[in-house]
Amino acid sequence: MIDMAVFKQFQDAISHLGEMAKPENLTDAERLSRAKAVMRQKTDRALAMDLEACVNCGYCSEACHFYQSTQDPQYTPTRKLDLLRRVHMRETSAFAPVHRLFTRDITVNDLQEWQELVYDACTECGRCSMVCPMGINIARGVNVMREALFEAGLAPLELMAVAQEQAGRGTVFGVGPAELLRTVDALRAQGIVIPVDAPQADVMLVSTVIDVLLYQDALAATARILNHLGVNWTLRSTGFEAANFGMLSGSESLQKAATKRLVDEALAIGAKTVIMPECGHAYPALRWDGRLDNGDALPFEVMAASEFVGREVQSGRLRLQPGDAGQTYTYHDACKLARHGGVVEEPRAAIRALGGDFRETAPTAELNWCCGGGAGTFLINRAAPLRHKAWEIKREQIDATGANTVVVSCASCRLNFMAGAETDQWPTRIASLVELVAEQLPKDKAH
Amino acid sequence: MDLLDWARGPLLTTAIIVFVAGVAWRLFSLWRLPASPAGGAPARQPFGTADALQASLSRMIPHRGFHPSATLVTINPYVFHIGLALVFFGYAPHIAFVHRLTGLGWPALPDLVMYIAAAATIVSLLIALLFRLTDPVLKKISRADDLLTWAVTMLPLMTGMAVVGEPSVSLLAHASPLYRSPLALHLLSLELLLVWFPFGKLMHAFLVLPNRMRLARFLGRRGVRT
Repeated sequence: MIDMAVFKQFQDAISHLGEMAKPENLTDAERLSRAKAVMRQKTDRALAMDLEACVNCGYCSEACHFYQSTQDPQYTPTRKLDLLRRVHMRETSAFAPVHRLFTRDITVNDLQEWQELVYDACTECGRCSMVCPMGINIARGVNVMREALFEAGLAPLELMAVAQEQAGRGTVFGVGPAELLRTVDALRAQGIVIPVDAPQADVMLVSTVIDVLLYQDALAATARILNHLGVNWTLRSTGFEAANFGMLSGSESLQKAATKRLVDEALAIGAKTVIMPECGHAYPALRWDGRLDNGDALPFEVMAASEFVGREVQSGRLRLQPGDAGQTYTYHDACKLARHGGVVEEPRAAIRALGGDFRETAPTAELNWCCGGGAGTFLINRAAPLRHKAWEIKREQIDATGANTVVVSCASCRLNFMAGAETDQWPTRIASLVELVAEQLPKDKAH
Repeated sequence: MDLLDWARGPLLTTAIIVFVAGVAWRLFSLWRLPASPAGGAPARQPFGTADALQASLSRMIPHRGFHPSATLVTINPYVFHIGLALVFFGYAPHIAFVHRLTGLGWPALPDLVMYIAAAATIVSLLIALLFRLTDPVLKKISRADDLLTWAVTMLPLMTGMAVVGEPSVSLLAHASPLYRSPLALHLLSLELLLVWFPFGKLMHAFLVLPNRMRLARFLGRRGVRT
């Protein structure tokens, strides 16, 4: 059961987040120089091809929830790469000297204008790349833009604040080992077995600040599922935070540091598998971008919670009690899980095992609409009206299924759904996948 | 030497040299940039070059359930791409032109097909221009390159129509061209296109396949269906 008072506190904390940021005092020249240095450094062969291949057909706008919900052409995804493109054409492209004659250099004003485009009006959902006739990875370019703006001290203050906290104290929203242990104690008081800091375990479960503070039931549910399956698992109090605000804000060094913290913990206990919580961006951050210090692939498997549960269902190891056949479910594919991670079939297998009527949205899976709150956008206060407009596409899409429950497997999406539902008085039940599964675990043994 | 002799001789040679050298330099300039870090994480599924090629080719067909707006209609780009290919590769005098340059030849398509293809291509390009000048998204994202590229693509079609006075059999039967000045203009417009090609977005002809395959590989090894 979600404590709505905590949800309100969480919203209130977000509204004051920007006040905690400590922006660097930089001159315009320094900002520009830093941003361009990142752009130049990040312009590798793939990004350069992306920048040069665009034919300005505008198809990407049709896939973008921010454009579709506003019809404002400034949100056309390929335009979000314009500054990168200009720097590349002027400095690193084949005919750079010619382009310098005809292409205006970027300015600090440009960078400031692009802050809204790449943070508020892009969740790096990647839907545009699915329809781009030239196969351009726009989300990657936007992420490079975020890195450039972060280095220039031009990240939104809210993301800057959280990134600075995670880089400095290693916590997010003030949640560290002590807060995790308090939550664990509360769950243990409910009779749920939660191993913490076991010196050795096959599976390391990772959690996140949102689960510790708000979605404690999701943490409890994952624990119960693992216990039911007889998995040898543990949480690590010094490395439990899945959220990676380096990735979201555009700080590559912080992204690597946050990843390393998890990797080191997993290596220390000899984990064979790391299970990420219901947190969209955390999955690709570790599963696809995570590496050892020497650049080698991680020596353990990384799975999203929904992926793990779905695989257990698919293999027959996890069987659920029959649920209410009258329930109607639909599923929201978190962009970072499905479109960036390939986690598509497993959550559906788990939902089907619940026994209700499962209805796909249209479009679905890799083409599903983003909810509008991902990639840290949920934390940017000034983006709330724009975010809500984008959310309306999602709401209409869910409504069209007629389902009475929308299942989510990403806490950020869940927050955005809850905020949208609160504003719109939307009656559809928003449910966590692992919580639904845990509710239907066989009752024959303690979890 | 009249204008046609210039257009067929030194100007054509120059245009071809600019085209070949320019395209090669542009591709080399991309290749010399550092390669993207290879995906170190184990793939969710094997995804080889053949899979990437297949995914790239299937990208020519829009996703089901994805309906572009009226001004970004899917059909118009098909019309002018296919039309241009038919006109360039299927028209008998063009094949004769390529044969003279390279020794390569292939059967021509009937003139009627060519006339229809050329007409459809011209109409399609005009529609593309109309959309580019009026659609809010296209207006916002368009650059000078878009208009220049449109113009150098349209010009050979327009100048080509000026030399289609007789069936291709008659045109080819003559030892020397019937319409020297119009043909010279047609060739000059082609040369303009060749010279502009490496500098603008016409390069997408060379970038489309490798770029699609790269994205297909990136997503495919993650198990994402593109």
